[in-house]
Amino acid sequence: MSVSCLHFSSQLLLLLSFHRHVNTISENTTSITEPRVETPAPKTPPLAPLIPTQTAQRNVLLTGENHTEEIEVVNPVVLNLECIWPGNGKRLPNITGYWTKDGQTIETSYSNIQLENDLYRLIREFTIMNEDDLGNYSCLFGPKAKVKFIVAAPHLGEVRDKPIVSYVGDSVVMVCKMDEKKPQPISWNWYIQNGTNKVQIESDSNAHKYKITKDGNKTKLLVYNLTESDSGVYYCGAVYAVAISMGYMQLRVITYYEPLKPFMGILAEVVILVAVILLYEKIGSRKHGESAGTEENKDETNNLSHRDNDVAVAHSSTRQRKV
Amino acid sequence: MPPPATSNLGYTPPDGGWGWVVVFSAFISIGFSYAFPKSLTVFFKEIQEYFSVSYSEIAWVSSVMLATMYAAGPISSVLVNRYGSRPVVMVGGFLVGLGMVSASFGTSIIHLYLCVGVIGGFGLAFNLQPALTIIGTYFHAKRPLANGLAMTGSPVLLFTLAPLNQFLFDSFGWRGSFLILGGITLNCCVAGSLMRPVKKTVESKPKEYALELNGPEEAVPVVSTESQSCVERFIDISLFKHRGFLIYLVGNIVLFFGFFAPIVFLALYAKHQGIDEYSAALLLSIFALSDMFVRPTTGFLGNTKWIRPRIQYFFAFAVSYNGVCHLLCPLLPGYTGLVVYAVFVGLGFGMLSALLFETLMDLVGAKRFSTAVGLCTIIECGPVLLGPPVSGALVDAFGDYKYMYYTCGAFMLAPGIFFFIMHYLNYKQLDEEKHKAAVEMRTAEDTVHLNIGQKDKSDDEIEK
Repeated sequence: MSVSCLHFSSQLLLLLSFHRHVNTISENTTSITEPRVETPAPKTPPLAPLIPTQTAQRNVLLTGENHTEEIEVVNPVVLNLECIWPGNGKRLPNITGYWTKDGQTIETSYSNIQLENDLYRLIREFTIMNEDDLGNYSCLFGPKAKVKFIVAAPHLGEVRDKPIVSYVGDSVVMVCKMDEKKPQPISWNWYIQNGTNKVQIESDSNAHKYKITKDGNKTKLLVYNLTESDSGVYYCGAVYAVAISMGYMQLRVITYYEPLKPFMGILAEVVILVAVILLYEKIGSRKHGESAGTEENKDETNNLSHRDNDVAVAHSSTRQRKV
Repeated sequence: MPPPATSNLGYTPPDGGWGWVVVFSAFISIGFSYAFPKSLTVFFKEIQEYFSVSYSEIAWVSSVMLATMYAAGPISSVLVNRYGSRPVVMVGGFLVGLGMVSASFGTSIIHLYLCVGVIGGFGLAFNLQPALTIIGTYFHAKRPLANGLAMTGSPVLLFTLAPLNQFLFDSFGWRGSFLILGGITLNCCVAGSLMRPVKKTVESKPKEYALELNGPEEAVPVVSTESQSCVERFIDISLFKHRGFLIYLVGNIVLFFGFFAPIVFLALYAKHQGIDEYSAALLLSIFALSDMFVRPTTGFLGNTKWIRPRIQYFFAFAVSYNGVCHLLCPLLPGYTGLVVYAVFVGLGFGMLSALLFETLMDLVGAKRFSTAVGLCTIIECGPVLLGPPVSGALVDAFGDYKYMYYTCGAFMLAPGIFFFIMHYLNYKQLDEEKHKAAVEMRTAEDTVHLNIGQKDKSDDEIEK
C-alpha cells in the first residue's frame, strides 16, 4: 500500500512539474523522502488530469494464434491499439471480441465483431498516464486468437544479477545504465530496501555516507564506510514522465576474514608441498651420495682432475705393458 | 629417435626420468606467465568504477605487467646463468604472490600499476625464462616434444583461470580475489622446487681421450663459465654475431607486430558484425581449445626424424600459415566463417608458440639459450606492446576491421617467407662448416695417432 502511495505522490509531482520545468526535479530530490502526499501549489488545479498531447497508434495483423508486441512509453500518451485477425477459416459472420489488462477482463470492452473483407477488427483507445496504466493489454477474438501488448517504460539494460561484494570499511560504487538507444530518463532515483518498503536515498553531504551522481543515461551510487548492515537490496529508478523504471542490485558486505581463510589454506598447501619436495630430494640424494661417490659433483675442475687421473693411470699401464 | 643436432652441452641430458616432472613444472610456470595478465581482465570493469578511471587506464595494468615481464628478461637470464633455474623461479613465484596480495589493499590505480604491473611482472619474468632454460638442460633428443608440452601450459591455464577468476570475483569482489590469486600464484614456488638442477653425467668417449693427450689446453671441448670475462657473463654480445640468432631476432620483431592483435580483436570484430556477446566469447574458447591440442602435437611432429633436422622450416611454415589465415579472415562470411577462422588460427597460434623457443634453442644451443631468450624478450617488448594499440588505431581510422587483418597477415607472411629463404642459406652454410670441421677433425686424429706412436717409441727407447 505504502509503495503505491509513494508512487502516486511521485507521479503527482511529476505531472505537475511537467507543467513547469523539467530540470527542477534533480534539485528537488530531497523533497521526496517520505511516503506522504505533497500538497500542490493552490494556483494550479490539483487533481485534474492533464490531457496528454501525444497519441500513438499500433496495428497488428495476427498471422497465427498468438502474438506479443512491446510498446515503450516515456510520456503520458493515448494509445490506439488495433488488432486485425483474418479468421481461422470458419468464416463466422460475427464473433465476440474483448480486451483484458494484466489478465483481468475489461468488462466494458465486449463487442460484436463483423467480418469485413475477410478480416475481424478490434480497436480500442487506452489512456496511459501513470504507472497503474502500464501493463499487459490483450485483445482476444473469442477464445481463439490473442494479441498481447506489453506497455512499459524503458527497461534498464546490463543490471548485474549477482550480488556486488565489498568489504567493511571500504566503499562501493553501484552503477545503473540506460541503453544509449533508449530515451534518456528525466532523472534518477536510488532506493534501499527496508523491510518491504523502498526508501529513497538522498545524497547528503553531511553524513558522507551516500553520494549520487546522475549523468544522463548513467547513474552512480557511492556508499562510503560500509558496515555489514549496509548489505541488502538497492534499487535504481529511471524517472520518466509516465513511470519510474526500476532495476535492482544486491550488495553484500563481508569482512576481510572471508577471503583470508582460503588464502591461508592455499599458503599452507604451498609451504607443505615445497617442504615435502625439498625433503624428499635431500633424503634421496643422501642415499645416492652414499653409494655413487662423486657423481653429484658438478665442478668442472674436479671432473678434469678425475679424468687426468684416469689418463695418468692408463698411461702408466701402457708403459708397464710395453715393458 | 631421429639423429639430433650435436649437443655442445658437455654431458648427456637425461631426456626423460625426472625431466618429465620438470616439464610439468615448466608447464605451470609458463602457463602463469602468459595466461595470468590476460585473465585479470575479468576484474577491470569493477576496478574501473571503483577508482573512477577510464577503461584504457585500467587496461594499462595488464600492459605494464606484460611489458615488465618481457623487459626483465635479461635480468632473469643473468640470474639463471648464475644461480640456476630453481631459486629464480621460487623468487619469481614469491614476487607475484607478494604483488597480488599488496594490490588487494590498493588505494589508487598507481598502487595497482606498481604492485600488479611491476612487481608481478618481475615475478612472471623470473618464472618464464628459467622454465624455458631448464627444459634445454634436461632434454636434447626429445626437446621439441618437451617444449611443445610445456608451452601448452599457456592455453590450459588461461582456460582454467578465466572461469576461476569469475567465480572468485562473484564470491569475494576484486580485493578478496586478488588476495586469493596471490596465494594461487605462490604455487609457482612449488613448480620451482621441482626444478632440480640436472645431474651432469659426463660421457667418456675414446675421441675425447685421444684429444686430452695433447694437453689440458685442448682437453675439454666445453668452455667453463669461470674462464669467460665478466662482461661476457652478463650480456653475451657475441650472440649478435651469431647468424641464426640474428635471423630469428629480425623475423620475430616483425612478426610480433601482427601476432596478438587479431586474437585481441576477434570478439570485437564478431560483435561489429552483429554477433551477440556470448557467441563472440565462444569464438575465443574455440580458439583456446584448438590452441591447446595443437601445441603438444606440434612438439611431437617437431621431434620426428623428418622434421627435427630442418625444424626451422617448420617454424617458417607456421609463421606463414598464420599470415595466410589473417589475410583470409575478412573474406570469410558470417559466424560460421569466424568459427572456421578461430579453429584454423588457433592451430597456427599453437604451432608457432610451441616452436617459438625450440627453434631458438636449436639455433644457439642450450648453453647460450638463457642469455639469448633474455635478449629476445626485451627486444620483442616493443612490437608486443605496440601491436594491439596500433591495430586499434587502424580500425578506428578506417572504421573497418579488414584492413587491420590484412596488415597483420602481411606482417606475419613476410617474416615467414624471410625465414624460409634465410634458413635455406643458413642450413647450407652450416652444412659446409660441419663438413670442414669433420675433415679437420680427421686430420687432427691422424696426427694424434702418429704422435702417440712416436711417443711410445721414444718412451721405449728411454726405458731401454
